[in-house]
Amino acid sequence: MDYGLTLALVGAGLAALMAGIGSAVGIGIAGRSATGVLSEKPERYGQMFIMVVLPGTQGFYGFLAAFLVMLNLNFFGAGGVPEISVQLGWQVLAACLPIAFAGMFSAIHQGKVCAGGILMAAKRPEMAFKAGVVYAVMVEVYAVLGLLVTMFILLKGLSWPTVG
Amino acid sequence: MAELAEQSVTDFFTYPPIGGDDWRYTFATAYVRALETQLLSRATLLDMANAENFERAADLLSAGEYALPQANRSVAELENFLRNKRSAVRKMFSSLMVDEPIVTLFRTRDDFANMRLAIRRTVTERPLGTDYSDDGNVSAELFEEVFEQENYSLFPDYMAEAVERAVLAYYQNKDIRRIDYAIDSVQAEYNIREAHRLENIFLLGFFRIQIDLTNIRTMFRLKFTESDRRDVFLQGGFVEPDRLKHGLDLDYDAVGQLFFATPYHRLVETGAAYLLSDKSFLRTEQQCEDFLIGFLKTTNQITAGPQPVIAYLLMKENEIRTVRLLLTAKRNSLDTKLILDRLGE
Repeated sequence: MDYGLTLALVGAGLAALMAGIGSAVGIGIAGRSATGVLSEKPERYGQMFIMVVLPGTQGFYGFLAAFLVMLNLNFFGAGGVPEISVQLGWQVLAACLPIAFAGMFSAIHQGKVCAGGILMAAKRPEMAFKAGVVYAVMVEVYAVLGLLVTMFILLKGLSWPTVG
Repeated sequence: MAELAEQSVTDFFTYPPIGGDDWRYTFATAYVRALETQLLSRATLLDMANAENFERAADLLSAGEYALPQANRSVAELENFLRNKRSAVRKMFSSLMVDEPIVTLFRTRDDFANMRLAIRRTVTERPLGTDYSDDGNVSAELFEEVFEQENYSLFPDYMAEAVERAVLAYYQNKDIRRIDYAIDSVQAEYNIREAHRLENIFLLGFFRIQIDLTNIRTMFRLKFTESDRRDVFLQGGFVEPDRLKHGLDLDYDAVGQLFFATPYHRLVETGAAYLLSDKSFLRTEQQCEDFLIGFLKTTNQITAGPQPVIAYLLMKENEIRTVRLLLTAKRNSLDTKLILDRLGE
């Protein structure tokens, strides 16, 4: 495997890995908080569910970025993976970093915001959406921005090699 | 941490800092937040205070966890019921806390309370009895055994020290109140030392407030009895003992001003005014309780940490005490105004 391709795959791996770790930690935090409330108030399951799954989106964003890299490298098509230059490899790696870092940190912090929202919903269920979910979505915005930057670079900023 | 220990009463506005989040307590915090919604509302407590009689007051609790059986509502049954409630809350606290030393620290409250009882009985040559709390670190059986054999080395160090100081203090002039002062002093020192060891800012602030409130109560009691004692104030609080000693020399009208730059200003002023007009410590007790509860409520800002769990334990214990107070007051047909004064606005 050539050096350029290795760099591109490291980029794809980092996007999926770091955003995935962030999501796992975020869901872990929100999930533990939700189980605490649900053990006394199981009727709040619906409200809690939204706030527990919200930090999971970053993992999907990371996966999407990795998938786009693999798609452009013809991983799933006929003709095999083409050779790419070292320069393109670095470019792909750089393109993956926004969603990797924004995804990881925003997911962890979103998990904490969701945990706070869950505690608030335990006492003030009417505020669960207005404050709990909305505040968590505001953290999500920055993961979305990271994903957009990654996608713009991957889809519009690079000259991918053609197969065959 | 060291800076906080040196912090004076003028370094914060109302309540001292309580520290940050500890994500090991995510589940426990959420669990107690859900339980907090089941605490008795102020309206229910006021309704109980205004109830015609004991039966009506007890009926107001029938929909919740304090529902007393209709058939047997004797004093003993009520005491037993509330004691079991308190034990259950403490067990739950132990199961939720990740840091075992904090549980041990809170259990020492019962050790000190048991010791107070046992020493009082020993020095006044009364039977030791068997009615000790079993919620402490030292079992009730061991307690009886140690005091019967006078083998205090079986106790942990902090308790052995408390026994020694309490007995010595008593025999200085055979004043039973000296036992309380000595044990309070050892307990306060132990609490502060442990809060430092655990590096827990919240506990340190809590224990320092407790010391201040104990000292303010002591100041009022000494003023009221016109005692000339000055060596009974506990060390380690936010308020310096000199300020409290100075308070003993002032009139009731002026003592509030002495605390003007402290968060206790309103508490002292209200307590002093009530003491002057009604010759009672009721309002001081109520204000001290409200101040402590106010501090505990600042843990609302913590999303995950030991602070909300500790705060829930203390608020629940306070609720149990209030229920006991209200039902006992109603059973003894106490004046509603007095009960309301104790409950506060």
